[in-house]
Amino acid sequence: MDELIYTLKQQIIEALNLEDMKPEDIDENASLFGEGLGLDSIDALELIVLMEKNYGIKLKDPSQGKEIFKSVAVMADFIQKNRTK
Amino acid sequence: MKPILITGTGVVSAIGLGKTETLEALLNGRSGVGPLQYLKTGHKEFPVGEVKLTDAEMRARLGIADDAITTRTALMGMLALEEALQDAGLTPDMLPNVGFISGTTVGGMDMSEQFYLDYINSEVHKEYIAAHDCGSCTEMTAQHFGKFAFVTTLSTACSSAANAIILGANMIRCGKADIVVVGGSECITKFHLNGFNSLMILDTDPCRPFDATRNGLNLGEGAAYLVLESEESAQRRGVKAQALLSGYGNACDAYHQTASSPDGEGAYRAMKEALELAEIQPFEIDYINAHGTGTPNNDVSESQAMKRLFRENVPPVSSTKPFTGHTTSASGSIEAVFCILALQHGFLPVNLNWSQPMEDGIVPVSQATKKELKHVLCNAFGFGGNDSSLLLSRPETAKHKTRDEVLSRVPRPEVPCLYVLSAKQISLQQPLSEKWMQEPIMYDTPFARSIDPSFKNYISPIEARRMGKILKRAVATSKEALKTSGLDTVDAIITGTGYGCIENTEFFLDALSNDGEQLLKPTYFMQSTHNTISSLVAIQTKNHSYNVTYAHKGISFDSALQDAWWQFQLGKIDSALVGGHDEMTETFYHILKKGGVMGKDEERCGEAAVSVVLSTSRHCEEGSHPELQPLCKLSGFHMLHQPTMNTLMDAVATMLQSAGKSLADVDFILTGMSGDHNNDAAYLQETKTLFGDKPLLQYKHLFGESFTSSGIGLYVAAQCLKKGRVPTSLFVKPDEVSDKQPKCILLYNRSDRKNCSLTLLED
Repeated sequence: MDELIYTLKQQIIEALNLEDMKPEDIDENASLFGEGLGLDSIDALELIVLMEKNYGIKLKDPSQGKEIFKSVAVMADFIQKNRTK
Repeated sequence: MKPILITGTGVVSAIGLGKTETLEALLNGRSGVGPLQYLKTGHKEFPVGEVKLTDAEMRARLGIADDAITTRTALMGMLALEEALQDAGLTPDMLPNVGFISGTTVGGMDMSEQFYLDYINSEVHKEYIAAHDCGSCTEMTAQHFGKFAFVTTLSTACSSAANAIILGANMIRCGKADIVVVGGSECITKFHLNGFNSLMILDTDPCRPFDATRNGLNLGEGAAYLVLESEESAQRRGVKAQALLSGYGNACDAYHQTASSPDGEGAYRAMKEALELAEIQPFEIDYINAHGTGTPNNDVSESQAMKRLFRENVPPVSSTKPFTGHTTSASGSIEAVFCILALQHGFLPVNLNWSQPMEDGIVPVSQATKKELKHVLCNAFGFGGNDSSLLLSRPETAKHKTRDEVLSRVPRPEVPCLYVLSAKQISLQQPLSEKWMQEPIMYDTPFARSIDPSFKNYISPIEARRMGKILKRAVATSKEALKTSGLDTVDAIITGTGYGCIENTEFFLDALSNDGEQLLKPTYFMQSTHNTISSLVAIQTKNHSYNVTYAHKGISFDSALQDAWWQFQLGKIDSALVGGHDEMTETFYHILKKGGVMGKDEERCGEAAVSVVLSTSRHCEEGSHPELQPLCKLSGFHMLHQPTMNTLMDAVATMLQSAGKSLADVDFILTGMSGDHNNDAAYLQETKTLFGDKPLLQYKHLFGESFTSSGIGLYVAAQCLKKGRVPTSLFVKPDEVSDKQPKCILLYNRSDRKNCSLTLLED
């Protein structure tokens, strides 16, 4: 799980182009949207693309993202349970 | 305002070619949205509103040869323009006195997305390269009918055509033209179908605006043009008005680059401004043609805006997008024509596919209803919160002002007295500084792969995550220019960009061409629209005022300046941030060079990032900001389309006369010579005829050539006037080098053989 979390952080940094950030800078339990990292609806769409591309998970409805993208840890847990690659 | 007459209209959309078919469809509830038929894409799951003709069929109707270079957007534009011109009784011989202003964002993308890999790897189809940009599409459309007096292109995504109508109205109100043909055209492309899909806002069912079950939009395509005319001209020609343009408003939501604010701030301001300009009360509005895309977000935001403005008395509302699909850049003029038909024939267009009220939403017109209408609003909103609203009225509603009322409105002086408060640019790797005056920059690569990190003073890393170099530079120069101007805020943000965010366009085209229509990044799409730049500046500076973007080749910056100039003249604004922004990539440099667009001979293909703050004398002289230290005065500005030596001479004489100057007062002519031998030779010849032996200056050998480099020209001239000297490096001829203190510089931008501009600056 720790390995997945670390990889996921790297993938998030790349997908969202968080230029000056390193995986260590992201707290896996902190909120990704709003108060935490301050991401928005477009970032959520980027994360949907990331999950499909890297883990074969398709989200049809962007509003599902609200729960799944709560934090890196929640996202990793969802990926672990639903990944097809 | 005094209403402007609409003396002709033409329209093409999924529901028909021309007004007769369109009216029949609107009255009978016949939608044009259906399964995808013409566009080559794998996304067959999305219903679309296509114009029911192939490109070849359109060519045949218009008499355009099969091998002539054109695009679907231009072809649809020609079909609509043909009807509008005929409708208004305008013949080719009259066009040299008529303006043409069109809106598009897609431009020639239908061809570029098919031939992109050819553009890079082979010589095949390279003749289409020069048809890629928005301005070329407008010019192809115009040229089919003749030579217009003035041509430019608005590109504010889905409100482009509405903003073209607004510019045309301002042009007439300033007395710069009696007749201006305005509107927009846009075809569906694989590029933006996939782009909207990446944003997950396309519905796989027919769209249902304002319905509880709405789940996104359907894309459409089409074109429409309106002939705007002054009352005097219509009387002279003996033509009648079909309707009036009584008012209009443009405001920026300044909330998010793709989403609308929950309270519909931009939409509210745009509608309110339209009513105020028309001096019409909310209760007088009989119908609103809503933007109503059918996305969950738009319809909530727009409902809120309408409820804020009309309170419990919201007039009948409908979205006609279930008829046509969302015709994006053309929607403003297509739906304005629908409104004019509704005014003429007395009916409320139905909001098809609606059945269940949405929470907190308006309840739209659910069946076609006969009703006499006097005043209607037509909304068009674009990405980045570029929101516009048009107020259209029946001809007999024109209020006849009493003589006293007319006299109480003192018109503004013919030429506004303007100051350049600040001008900032980032060129190449150079930070925001005036260092170029001491040490001219010499470079191997004319455009930058990375940019100077000084932008970080203005943009946080998290904000910068979605910004390409053009956006970083635009935000940094705008904030720096605003800061040094001494003004707290500006009344307008107007941007020019020839090609927009081509870095992101390239990323998206790469993915589309190499990886197919799957897993495309929404960021690349949303950052590929031209108006991203201007709306991002508004978001970053929390500015809700007038906001538009021009994309018309080498006069993109000039068009932005022209818009500001007319609004200053009308007294609509007292300050403006005018920007010119273009970026370049290795791939596009290679493509544009191959297509003969730039990089000929010794021309260095560069980039531009320039932001200029302009203000009226009210700020500088009348005490509100006495501490302001302007760089220089902007005393004259004039743009010409397809100029001849005679029209140029007239323009120079008129401009100098209006500014109270003579040619003897002009110290230097700043040219846009770029290293393109033919163009430079023409410069030398023309400047000799126009200006005699005035010393010639140039700047593109230092800053490179880009579509908006005339903005850099303005910056260079302003710096020379402020510093009181001209660096040796700017002189074209060694024997003209002097240390004469510049008091008055005339910029002559001759961007290509079709367009040019004249700008007069004084210390």
